[in-house]
Amino acid sequence: MFRTTRPALPAALLTIGALALTGCSGSSAPGETYDPDEEVTLTFAFWGNEVRAGLYEQAFEAFNEEYPRITVQNSFLDFPAFWEKRQTEAAGGGLPDVMQFDYSYLRQYAESGLLLDLAPYLGGVIDDEPFSDEILEIGEVADGNFAIATSTNAFGLYTNPALLEAVGVEEFAGGTWDDYDDWMEEVSDAASAQGVELWGGVDWTGRIQNFELQMRAGGEDLFTEDGEPNFTQDDLEAFWEQGDSIREDGTAAGSQKVEEAYPLSVFDSALTASELNWDNFGTGYLGNLGDSYTELGLVAPPLDVEGAQDLFLKPAMLHAIAATTDHPEAAATLVDFLVNSPEVGAVFGTNRGLPASETQLEGAALEGLDAQIRDYEESIADRLGDAPPVPIVGYGTLEEKFRQLGLELGFGTITPGEAASQFFSEMDIVLNQ
Amino acid sequence: MTATALITTGQQPPRRRLTRRTSQTIVWFVALTAITLVVIYPLVWLLLSTFKPNAEFGQNPGLLPWAPTIDNYLKVVEGIAGVPLWRFYANSLILAVSAVIGTVLSSALAAYAFARVRFRGLGVLFTAMIGTLLLPFHVVIIPQYIWFQKLGLVDTFVPLILPKFLATEAFFVFLIVQFIRNIPRDMDEAARIDGAGHARIFWSIILPLVKPALITCAIFTFIWTWNDFLGPLLYLNSPENYPLPIALRLYNDQTSTSDYGATVTASFVALVPVLLFFIVFQRFLVDGVATQGLKG
Repeated sequence: MFRTTRPALPAALLTIGALALTGCSGSSAPGETYDPDEEVTLTFAFWGNEVRAGLYEQAFEAFNEEYPRITVQNSFLDFPAFWEKRQTEAAGGGLPDVMQFDYSYLRQYAESGLLLDLAPYLGGVIDDEPFSDEILEIGEVADGNFAIATSTNAFGLYTNPALLEAVGVEEFAGGTWDDYDDWMEEVSDAASAQGVELWGGVDWTGRIQNFELQMRAGGEDLFTEDGEPNFTQDDLEAFWEQGDSIREDGTAAGSQKVEEAYPLSVFDSALTASELNWDNFGTGYLGNLGDSYTELGLVAPPLDVEGAQDLFLKPAMLHAIAATTDHPEAAATLVDFLVNSPEVGAVFGTNRGLPASETQLEGAALEGLDAQIRDYEESIADRLGDAPPVPIVGYGTLEEKFRQLGLELGFGTITPGEAASQFFSEMDIVLNQ
Repeated sequence: MTATALITTGQQPPRRRLTRRTSQTIVWFVALTAITLVVIYPLVWLLLSTFKPNAEFGQNPGLLPWAPTIDNYLKVVEGIAGVPLWRFYANSLILAVSAVIGTVLSSALAAYAFARVRFRGLGVLFTAMIGTLLLPFHVVIIPQYIWFQKLGLVDTFVPLILPKFLATEAFFVFLIVQFIRNIPRDMDEAARIDGAGHARIFWSIILPLVKPALITCAIFTFIWTWNDFLGPLLYLNSPENYPLPIALRLYNDQTSTSDYGATVTASFVALVPVLLFFIVFQRFLVDGVATQGLKG
């Protein structure tokens, strides 16, 4: 037995050595600017499809005209695979120099010391003038600022004007959540009278964002700054009970339809006339709906409390730099270009969300749906409050659990009380892991 | 059953038996066809869906496309982000073929040593090797990644191919060991008397006799490597190095638009080689398993 374990010892030592090395690298003094004569190769990773890959390619070409000595090697994957790969790299010390980053992973990566603190570069290499304070604060975790938002989204209510016209119902005129239920019922009834397979919308209690909106309308975020929930099991049960009526009388498209349409949503499949979602989903909706639908309606979500600031701007995506990068100045230069340059704005339009930087927004020639989203975000200015604290570690798991429980409520396999209790046991695990 | 059989035998035995056999055959045939249809439905759906325009996904879950088109094929052949489709194919082929060569060679060598060579620690090493079967891949991912990362071999095919040449697939080593153990030692001894060493015995005596096992290994390795997603995902960064399973996912992005038509078509195109490979080699696969029982 001893004979076999001996060869493993040098291996173990080497591994420890490798880990120690990871901890030591990337320690050049921050705040300096990039020396334009230095030959640098940066690795860059993003999630997206081939369309976005083409856009990044154009952005890097523009970047190289200005900085010909920085070579950007990019790699891209779809969202789940992107994070699977990053998690391994994070553990192995091989994160790319610059990354497109997601809000939900920000706390985890920043707290583990995997990201470079951008604070010394803000106002220097990275121009922070074109950003509002609220947007700059988005990247703040603990004592540093670890990511900068490329773009923002707000929550909105998408509608399908062509379908509404077909059944003869007016656009949702705004109002309370009950008004929204009534409006959906009108659509569903009109559709079933005409024998068309169409519903007003889905059961909106199936999404944690809608719960968040109602909580914020009451003046509180879902979670506190310390990551504790601001709601009780009874609050959650009461929220889910609001959906009982639309689930039972067939106002909302049932869970079975939702599952049949998957991986598309029922709104994508022209089975519902409205859907509450982040406003950057519009392009995807139009693409998935196909050529027979050319426009979408985008209005503010329902609100029960007059004058409340329930909405907020969420970073659609961010840029972050790995703490292990050998070229922090060059990496910061690239980030500055990607978030601020008007040329990049012109290339991307709203592919990454509505540009957060004013200079980039000016560079983006927005038209059609893109312009509609910009106008929408301007129109809800009165309802925009401060963004909630950076999501807790494991927020993604909770969001998914919430969605699944919503589906089960639709199938009638559980009651709101049972769902609330299941959600709390899941949350207990996530918060105490 | 026995009662009816007794009564019928006396009267018209040949005809009766024939009808009973025929009707049984028909029942079997219908039942098996029904089961086959259920099993093959997803594949047929995949094939027919490659002719659906992208907008039909989600709206037309049925088998037949409403407006058949070959646009998906044109799009897929074009490739992704400037990388043509044949490149992904070539990458997949390089990986799969090297893995087959590596696994078969190294597993056969290791198996010969375990089965025929007596050395100190044989039992412990053999147990350790079988023990690695209990070790899930996920446990070794990170240490292995650190290793290759420090060696600067990330974004090359080395991390994906090198381990295959080191007999890391314990299952195949075990399979071949069992095979060799069933070959009478008299053959080795006869060769030894004629002056053959280990290398000669391995090459000229054992290797030809374990051919069925090697073919089984080759087939499984090919199919597993062709379909492997996690390994290439972790070790390859540049899109021009991606094999097919990763390229397939690049048409989709939940946060913007997804091209399901292209995804489905690319999936089908990626499936064809494995399907052909299986059809060509399946009789060897059956041979490999069947002869195993006769060797003892």
